[in-house]
Amino acid sequence: MARFDTLNTAWMVWDGPAPAPEGAVLEYTRELEKFLAEIERRAFRMAQVALRDPDDALDVVQDAMLKLTRSYAARPSAEWRPLFYRILENGIRDLQRRRTVRKRVMTWLPGPKEDPENEAQDPLENVADSAPTIPEKLMQAQAMQQLEESLRALPPRQREAFMLRNFEGMDVAETASAMACSEGSVKTHYSRAVHALREQLGEVW
Amino acid sequence: MSEQNNDAFESRSRALFQDSVEGLDMRIRSRLTQARSAALEAAAESRRPWLFGWKMWAPAGGVTAAAILGLGLWIGSPIGHQATTLATNVQSNLEDLDLVASTDEGSADAMEMLQDDIEFYDFADKAANSGPAA
Repeated sequence: MARFDTLNTAWMVWDGPAPAPEGAVLEYTRELEKFLAEIERRAFRMAQVALRDPDDALDVVQDAMLKLTRSYAARPSAEWRPLFYRILENGIRDLQRRRTVRKRVMTWLPGPKEDPENEAQDPLENVADSAPTIPEKLMQAQAMQQLEESLRALPPRQREAFMLRNFEGMDVAETASAMACSEGSVKTHYSRAVHALREQLGEVW
Repeated sequence: MSEQNNDAFESRSRALFQDSVEGLDMRIRSRLTQARSAALEAAAESRRPWLFGWKMWAPAGGVTAAAILGLGLWIGSPIGHQATTLATNVQSNLEDLDLVASTDEGSADAMEMLQDDIEFYDFADKAANSGPAA
């Protein structure tokens, strides 16, 4: 797989594109559509794990799609996945930062205080489909809910490494590209994430 | 915690995640499809050759139309009208001067006639001033 070092470098390379011939444009538009269709649901779920709110997750995924198609569509298709997840993770981090600032501002303003009791979500709230009534499905949904909560408690880099390696199935090199770090760091983050998750979820999970 | 247990944990978490992805409701799926379409549209827009983009030609067309309209208004206005009349007058005076000063045969005769009859014009002027003859 062709490697790229940083997102900034990618911007510099892509600066001032020459218009592609019509046929070639159609070809990689189709390829791009296929790529996005394949990746969008997993990307949404990962964003939702990090952000909790589905609307925020949708916004972040949409932004990532737009940025990828506008700025990096002409890059080799092998680079799309790590690029996409890099953009997505940046979007997630930006949103989390904005939330933190908003929260700080809100504490200075008068108004009803948020009840921390109500902040804890109902485990059934995030069940993907309202239809399943089978106990096994319900148990799976609860297990996923627990996993999500544990992932949210992880440091962002560990969560990112775990989701890209485990959920998205990226290899170490691809994950390192997406996270803009060395392969050694990816291995460390991932190993710590697995250890922390297993500790949090317990042996019975 | 053994390596084998880690593998089992990874497999289980991956399977759960995959289940949750497949169980996404229609609203989310539909919105993701819309987002994808919007992104692809944006990509197509940004890759279209600039020469064929109407956005490229719109400003140039606007400037040309404004220039034509401005010229029409200026000619129709009093200032514009005065300017065009003045230009016409100057041209006609120049033509008169050209006629008088030209050295072709007819014009030279006219100047000579004017010089020859000057004594007659002087006499006629005096006769008119002295009143009717007795």
